[in-house]
Amino acid sequence: MNLALRMLDRTGLLAVIVVFWAIFVVFADGFLNRVTIFGLSRTVAVTAVIGLSQMVVLGIGQMNLAVGAIGGMIGVFTGWLMQSVGLPVWAAVIVALLFAAFVGWVNGIIITKTGINSFIVTLGMASVITGLVFILTKAEAFRDLPDAYTSFGKVPWVELGWLELSPLIFIAVAIAIVMALVYKRTTFGRWMLATGANPRAAELSGVPVNFVVQATHALSGLLAGAAGIMIVSRLGSALPSIGENWLLPSFAAPIVGGTLLSGGAVAVFGTLLGALLIESVSVGLTLMNVPSFWIQLFIGLVLLLAVLIDRARTVAVARGQRGVRQTPAGATSG
Amino acid sequence: MSAVALHQASSSRLQSLANKEWAWLAGIILLMSAVLTILEPNFLTQFNFYVLLRGIAVTLIVAYAQLMVLVVGQLNLSVGATGGMVAICTGGMMEVWGLPTVIAVALGLLIGVGAGLANGLLTTRTGINGFIITLATASAFTGVTIGLNDAKPWYNLPKRFVEFGQGRIGPFPYIAIVTIIVGILLWVLFERTLLGRQILAVGGNQRAAELSGIPVDRILVIVFVLSAILSSIAGIILMARLGSAQPSIGSDWLLPSFAIPIVAGIALSGGSAPVINTALAALLIALIDNGLVLTKADPYWIQFLLGLIILVAVGLNRLRAVREAKRTTAS
Repeated sequence: MNLALRMLDRTGLLAVIVVFWAIFVVFADGFLNRVTIFGLSRTVAVTAVIGLSQMVVLGIGQMNLAVGAIGGMIGVFTGWLMQSVGLPVWAAVIVALLFAAFVGWVNGIIITKTGINSFIVTLGMASVITGLVFILTKAEAFRDLPDAYTSFGKVPWVELGWLELSPLIFIAVAIAIVMALVYKRTTFGRWMLATGANPRAAELSGVPVNFVVQATHALSGLLAGAAGIMIVSRLGSALPSIGENWLLPSFAAPIVGGTLLSGGAVAVFGTLLGALLIESVSVGLTLMNVPSFWIQLFIGLVLLLAVLIDRARTVAVARGQRGVRQTPAGATSG
Repeated sequence: MSAVALHQASSSRLQSLANKEWAWLAGIILLMSAVLTILEPNFLTQFNFYVLLRGIAVTLIVAYAQLMVLVVGQLNLSVGATGGMVAICTGGMMEVWGLPTVIAVALGLLIGVGAGLANGLLTTRTGINGFIITLATASAFTGVTIGLNDAKPWYNLPKRFVEFGQGRIGPFPYIAIVTIIVGILLWVLFERTLLGRQILAVGGNQRAAELSGIPVDRILVIVFVLSAILSSIAGIILMARLGSAQPSIGSDWLLPSFAIPIVAGIALSGGSAPVINTALAALLIALIDNGLVLTKADPYWIQFLLGLIILVAVGLNRLRAVREAKRTTAS
């Protein structure tokens, strides 16, 4: 039952993407253009990592409203490390990622030590972080970044005839593969899902719930930071405004992909597909000369539809299993 | 869960707690006013008081819009989006259709009711967390706000309407009249009416409320509609104050809408509605903002401080709840 539903989900989402692509190929001029597809491979990559950053926290039944704030801060921090400190690219990226994980870990520490709702803690932290970024940078961007770094996000990697893909999409897919392995093969992955399914039960069966919550928020911070580093290499400059509009896609990608809001079940590759759907729709509608405002309305409606399906699915699963909870270990859909 | 049980076990204790909150807020406000009076000669001027009250008149209603749903343990991310959409629609009806102020405002409020019904019905019918529903509807509402006039404001609003929005008697802006009426009505709602008691009961313990015969789903829909009406009122009076219907109205309301009720000491689990303390908290936050402006500090400090205030306020509330719980078990 569960497996059949999951298969239906994934094929359902794929079918929706195929339908949209068919519509855009016919009606949107230049959708299958090499430039469009290359652009899509760059935006989908960043949105997917933003979605994964939210997905890991949704998996433990919490949320992270600071995904955008952390991404923006790490983008600017990376720019500062390269431009002002003069670190080589690899060193700047490593230091920035460690700092991103640290900030996420601080979120987790505040949540576990005080027992306050993750929504409020991350809302407050997001405001503190963004405020600090703007105070420290005086709203100025870092623009003198090393060529090796900015060309990475601008130059295609794979060129097969008309098909050009950005290296960023390969990074996103690699991250997704690692995440899927973490959930499928490691104890920590099972702990995260067990905590999300039922923290009390997880605690009783020996899962170190507080540690899991802290580590998951650190992981979320790390992924948000990765998304920030990726987008700076794409834009070619580290703008403090990065991350301001990440809230909606961060929830939309994993939820459209089939991640349960209630926690305990994640969809890693579903999140990739969710990001692909959102970005394809944005690009397609833009090419069809639909004003960007209506695109925002449309994405809101897609998210709404996705949560309604999510709900129907949860009810169906509950009925199929006669009220027995899903076993957390089997709840990963790859 | 334990917080809910605690709330029910000792509502009189909570009462005294709320009183203490009141004294704390008033004390900090007095202290801040004294400091600002000494440091900034411009603080104690009639015009500065007008600026202060003009800001509070809007943000307090925004805070009440969020308070309304926090009372039942829900969140509303579409407060700003609803306010913006209603402002643009009302302004459009005034400029394009030339409708008289009263009719345009009434229709605008009706649009707000529609937005609230959408949030409420989607949340109750599907059982999905209000957070996600309102995140999605907020995006849709913002799409309408910006799409309706291609992100351009409406400038030709009725003269009397704008005069009301910008006029004042001494330091007292006309629009504050609306805010005071809203505050009194909310106080009456929660302190004196059956509906208010039912809303508090649903917030305190939904299951218990259901078992005692309260129509929980209907109450939740009403709460979302009231929240949307309050958002709409805030949007309309801000439009009157600005003298134009800007599509950016509401885009920066998210943070203050949560910060003010939290500083007022609201229980995030639901079940408390500190109407008066929320007004004091709005004044406190406006004073901080005012102080930053008067001392010509970097405007980004307000965002940093609001976030810090949220964290400190919830931390203190939490600490006190834990202490209370210990004291109750000890005695």
